[in-house]
Amino acid sequence: MSLYSKILSVPLTLVPRKIINQQNDVTIVQKGIEKKIKKLFGGSLAIREVDTGSTNACEQELMALTNTYYDIERFGIHFVASPRHADMLMVTGPVSRNMAEALKKTYEATPDPKIVVAVGDDAIDGGIFKGSYAVLDGVHNVIPVNFQIPGDPPSAMTILSSLLYILNIIDDKSDQKKQ
Amino acid sequence: MQNLFFTSLLVLTGGSIISLIVQRDTKLSYVSSVFSMFGSLLALIFSIGALITQSTLTTTLPTSFPMFNISLHIDPLAAFFILIVSLIALPASLYGIVYMKQYAIEYNLGVFGFFYNIFLISLLLVITAHNALYFLFVWEIMSLSSLFLVIFENKKLQIIKSGFIYFIMTHAATAFILLSFLLLFQFTGSFDFETIKQHFASIPFVIQTIIFLCMIIGFGTKAGIVPFHIWLPWAHSAAPSHVSSLMSGVMIKIGIFMLFKMFLDILPQTPLWLGYVVLIIGAVSSILGVLYALSEHDIKRLLAYHSIENIGIILLGLGSGLIFIALKQPSLAMLAITAGLFHTLNHAVFKSLLFLGAGSVISQTHTRNIEEYGGLIKLMPYTAIFFLVGAVAISGLPPFNGFVSEWLTFQSLFSGIATSSILIKSIFIFGAACLTFTGGLAAACFVKAFGITFLARSRSIESEKATEVSPLLLISMGTLAVLCLTLGVFSFFVITNIQLIVKSLSLFASKTSSLSSTGISLQVNQNVAHLNMPVIFLVMAVFIALSFGLVYIVSRKQKVVLRTVWDCGFNALSPKMEITATGFSRTLILIFRGIFQPSKQHEIEYVDADIRYFSKSKTVTLGIVNIYEAYLYYPLHNGLSIISKQIRKIQSGNVNQYLLYIFILLLGLLIFARY
Repeated sequence: MSLYSKILSVPLTLVPRKIINQQNDVTIVQKGIEKKIKKLFGGSLAIREVDTGSTNACEQELMALTNTYYDIERFGIHFVASPRHADMLMVTGPVSRNMAEALKKTYEATPDPKIVVAVGDDAIDGGIFKGSYAVLDGVHNVIPVNFQIPGDPPSAMTILSSLLYILNIIDDKSDQKKQ
Repeated sequence: MQNLFFTSLLVLTGGSIISLIVQRDTKLSYVSSVFSMFGSLLALIFSIGALITQSTLTTTLPTSFPMFNISLHIDPLAAFFILIVSLIALPASLYGIVYMKQYAIEYNLGVFGFFYNIFLISLLLVITAHNALYFLFVWEIMSLSSLFLVIFENKKLQIIKSGFIYFIMTHAATAFILLSFLLLFQFTGSFDFETIKQHFASIPFVIQTIIFLCMIIGFGTKAGIVPFHIWLPWAHSAAPSHVSSLMSGVMIKIGIFMLFKMFLDILPQTPLWLGYVVLIIGAVSSILGVLYALSEHDIKRLLAYHSIENIGIILLGLGSGLIFIALKQPSLAMLAITAGLFHTLNHAVFKSLLFLGAGSVISQTHTRNIEEYGGLIKLMPYTAIFFLVGAVAISGLPPFNGFVSEWLTFQSLFSGIATSSILIKSIFIFGAACLTFTGGLAAACFVKAFGITFLARSRSIESEKATEVSPLLLISMGTLAVLCLTLGVFSFFVITNIQLIVKSLSLFASKTSSLSSTGISLQVNQNVAHLNMPVIFLVMAVFIALSFGLVYIVSRKQKVVLRTVWDCGFNALSPKMEITATGFSRTLILIFRGIFQPSKQHEIEYVDADIRYFSKSKTVTLGIVNIYEAYLYYPLHNGLSIISKQIRKIQSGNVNQYLLYIFILLLGLLIFARY
């Protein structure tokens, strides 16, 4: 039950398309991310990716983040093998019925505090699979989601600038708390 | 003093008779156990008294049979073994009160109580017997009463088979003992041990050799030396657990006691080769015992194999003692004999503790297969702790008693390595190497036994339903667990007393031992090595307390969240994925494949036998060859049956033929009488 009440209580933020489109210079975004990760995470952000039945388009884009052009490992962002090591969950896909239980378990296995990001239109509301019997129409129906990155699929650049946006919001919040 | 002993015998006799009287009423079945408890308590007090006063009691009751005297002789050595018997019989009988209730519906507890008390009486009488014929008489009572305890669950075919193996082996052993006593009678003219002792030196060397070998085989079979050990795993696993604990903890020690008594007291000044033989038998028994224990998945058979291992360790002490005696180094011999005697006491305590623990587990799970246990530490926490104490003690780890006696055995073996002769040196090195190896493997085996039984998750529905056993069972196990610790920490006190027993043997009169205890520490060979158990115990306790304290201080403010194991989102973590006892010991079995000769059989059934892609079922059968049965006992058995088949041919059933036999016999006798 606590999981359902948490789903209702956690604020869900959709990263606005306007912000994504505004920033398209890779170097500026990357410098921003590097600074924020140093400040917020001590230089290391561990991400666990969960595929809940996506078309693999989002995975391709996430994988592109680690190629030589974007190379996010420079800033201390890693994709890790176990949710036990993760700070952030990135969930792709519309959540097929068979993956719902596994997703819940992954969420529970991730240590607090955790950030859950739904990546792609499928993960936001089911996308092109919406209304099908086999899917649960979005990650927020199963676990609490903090942020949603739109796009079908979001490009690597989109994901990167959304990440900066997310980090900025978290930073603002932590600053508010301190005051 | 002596009256106390006879009272104890009387109480036990009373227990056995009353047990038969009340056999109809299952509610009164505890009465005989109470009698055996009381009887063993009296014997315990008597033996402590006899040890304190260092007195030797001798009584002879003549009977109307020639040569057959009921002759009791209680010297400090016998008193020490009476102490062992009664010390184990007391908690075992207490355990039996509750434990036997599970058999009340199906079997007759009155008969059990009868044989149980008779068994205790015979144990006490065997130790005190000082006349060979009388000794054989009580020895037979001991064997037969324990046989009836072994086949108590007589509705199971497997148990009858175990009892049969025990029956044959124990009587083969008695035959050898009888042969040695008859030879002694032939050359000394008496069955009295005292007379034998005086005249033994006059026996020819060859006959002496035969007598020694017969005794090693006869008493060794009872003690469970390799290769005459095959009855132990069968008998110990068949009997009810507290009887197994008595048989393994005490009865096989009677074989050891007789070896000590014969070689050190009755037939002193043994030749050097006897020491070699005993030491090598000890080394081989210890290592093969522990190896077979590793491959065993039946918890009681596993413990039985460990008895063989520990008998080996005791014989290492006795063997090196005999070698030192032959080398005229009595002070070192005293050290080795002390080590052997102390290990006898220690093994009795921790092995009966382990058998009682195993019995508690079996009474809850109704199986002896350790692959079906698991997770019992949460359901039976006290049993788990007591079993762990026993396991640590038998693995020879401080601060428990097994460590001290194994340390002493090592010290005596090391002193032997320091001798000049290259042959003796190499034999001692062999013994020390075997003992080292045995210690490591024993620890590995008990990691398996404890880990698979008590840790992880339950592997069967039966073990999920287990609950903690009744307080009486816990008290009897707890007493033995406390004894394990006390005998370890206060070993300086125990060893001082065992030294007095050793000194009381005429062989060591007015000799000083190379083992001495000053204050609370033990010293070997004038400070070559010391051991200070109380300090070791304190240091361990302080370190354990410190580490717990540190962990508490560090993690005091941290929040602890209990979650299920991360299984990659699968929903199917099952106990089948845990490490099994088979898997744990498989590596070691493969390393020693020369001894085990492991076999592996794959049986695959295919959906379509022509297209071998999809299998319907796969079965893997792992097995090991029991080399003694395969290469010693089966050929012996087959040979005997072939010979008997040949002999049967002369029985034709034709009267004329029998008349011919009589005629030939008569002719033969006439010729024999003529020349």
